[in-house]
Amino acid sequence: MPVIISVVLILTIAIQLLYHSQQEPVVAAADSLQLPMSTRTYVLSSLGEPIAASKILNLWLQAFDNQPGVSISFRQLDYTRLTKWLDTILKLDPKGRYPMLVAARVYGSVQDRERQRIMMDYIFYKFNENPHRHWRWLAHATIVAKHELKDMELALKYANALADKAAGNSIPYWARDMKIIVLEDMGEVEAAKILVGGLIASGEITDPYEITFLEKKIQVLESKLSDSQHNVEESTKNIQ
Amino acid sequence: MLTHIKTISKFTIIEAMRNRLVILTLLVMGISFGMIEFIGDLSITERRVTQVAILAAFLRLSAMVIITMFVVTSTVRELHDKTLEMILAMSVRRSSYYFGKLIGFSYVVVLVSILFMFMLLLYAPAEQVLIWGLSLMLEMMLVVAFALVMLFSFNQIPSALTGVFVLYAASRTATSIYLMSKYPIIPHDTLAQEFMDGFIEMLTWLLPDLHRYTQTEWLAYGTAQWSDLPPLAVQTFIYLLLLSSLSLFDFHRKNF
Repeated sequence: MPVIISVVLILTIAIQLLYHSQQEPVVAAADSLQLPMSTRTYVLSSLGEPIAASKILNLWLQAFDNQPGVSISFRQLDYTRLTKWLDTILKLDPKGRYPMLVAARVYGSVQDRERQRIMMDYIFYKFNENPHRHWRWLAHATIVAKHELKDMELALKYANALADKAAGNSIPYWARDMKIIVLEDMGEVEAAKILVGGLIASGEITDPYEITFLEKKIQVLESKLSDSQHNVEESTKNIQ
Repeated sequence: MLTHIKTISKFTIIEAMRNRLVILTLLVMGISFGMIEFIGDLSITERRVTQVAILAAFLRLSAMVIITMFVVTSTVRELHDKTLEMILAMSVRRSSYYFGKLIGFSYVVVLVSILFMFMLLLYAPAEQVLIWGLSLMLEMMLVVAFALVMLFSFNQIPSALTGVFVLYAASRTATSIYLMSKYPIIPHDTLAQEFMDGFIEMLTWLLPDLHRYTQTEWLAYGTAQWSDLPPLAVQTFIYLLLLSSLSLFDFHRKNF
């Protein structure tokens, strides 16, 4: 082998190292979340593989807070854009549950009330599109609204939707009956009792477990109601 | 004629074995297994669906690349090494050479598809994998025929490979492009746009609708039915005849 080849090889390695040392150092910078492209663009770029594209986008979006060399919190993400990404992923794979799960349990668990509301509203919007598929996430949103956001009106709105759109037996009774619990927690014991009685009387409920649950609920509500009436009478007597 | 076809197809299979095609396929399976297990660890939910969706898409694309590379490189080498001229100097008909090659490559398609099916069995139900695998075989048969048309036309590896990849991508996405042009976000009525719309529609008529083949959804959600296969088999048969006629037309035109 000619010596010149070895010399050039060593020289080119040295030049490469020298060239690299002259480059600007790479600094980690957080990229903001851009708007997604149209669903068709992802279908085309994946050569007609929308489901595979949606799964890859799921993982990419899930890892967006961990960019090379930098970690950003979910609170720094633009949540309106985030919902557009989730929507795109769902359009690519309508049977997928991943986007709704991260909406409820990952992005919806952020310690930022405003962002939580955006995510819960997104879940509510998706539920209205397809109650049968997305009811479980709205049930979660109802709990978040009640316990984390402490917004009983919002919780009641979601619980109402769960009760109203409960066609057939596709939504279990514990989710449909969340409205009763929310009303009870709001102090609307009378309204809750009427609702429970109405549900039983309507004949729509055939599940024996649900009927037992509702009957027990009536007993609890009646005792609460009589307790509160008793308290009122006691305090009236004391005043007199 | 049948003896010639049998001999040529036999030597095509021997070449595939000597080219370490099986080892390459196993290597792809090994890499994809590592990748898919890693992806599975990243998933919060739908672990298996995520794994199988990405794996199926990856294996389908890998099968297309492996088979195209093998068909194009092996046949172009025969053209350049004058092996083809030597074969044709004997009493072998050009159509015998073509069909011998087509059948030989079909065996390779079956082999690669079966290996990939074994891997998918780790992640999806056997019946769905079987339907998916049979559909992959039909799809790859078309890829073989595409490759033979391209290499007889171009005689060069880069041009033939580019031709196959473009045709494959167009066949996979023609329907999506057509829907985009038919239902645009902003309506248009310019002559140029109407011409393009017409051209795209013509493509959907001329190209096989590959998006109906080997669907990832079958494995991800178990939606495949045996009744999905006959229309694909009919389309494959029709298009194989078309591509074979095209190849033989070009093959007979050439002087060696």
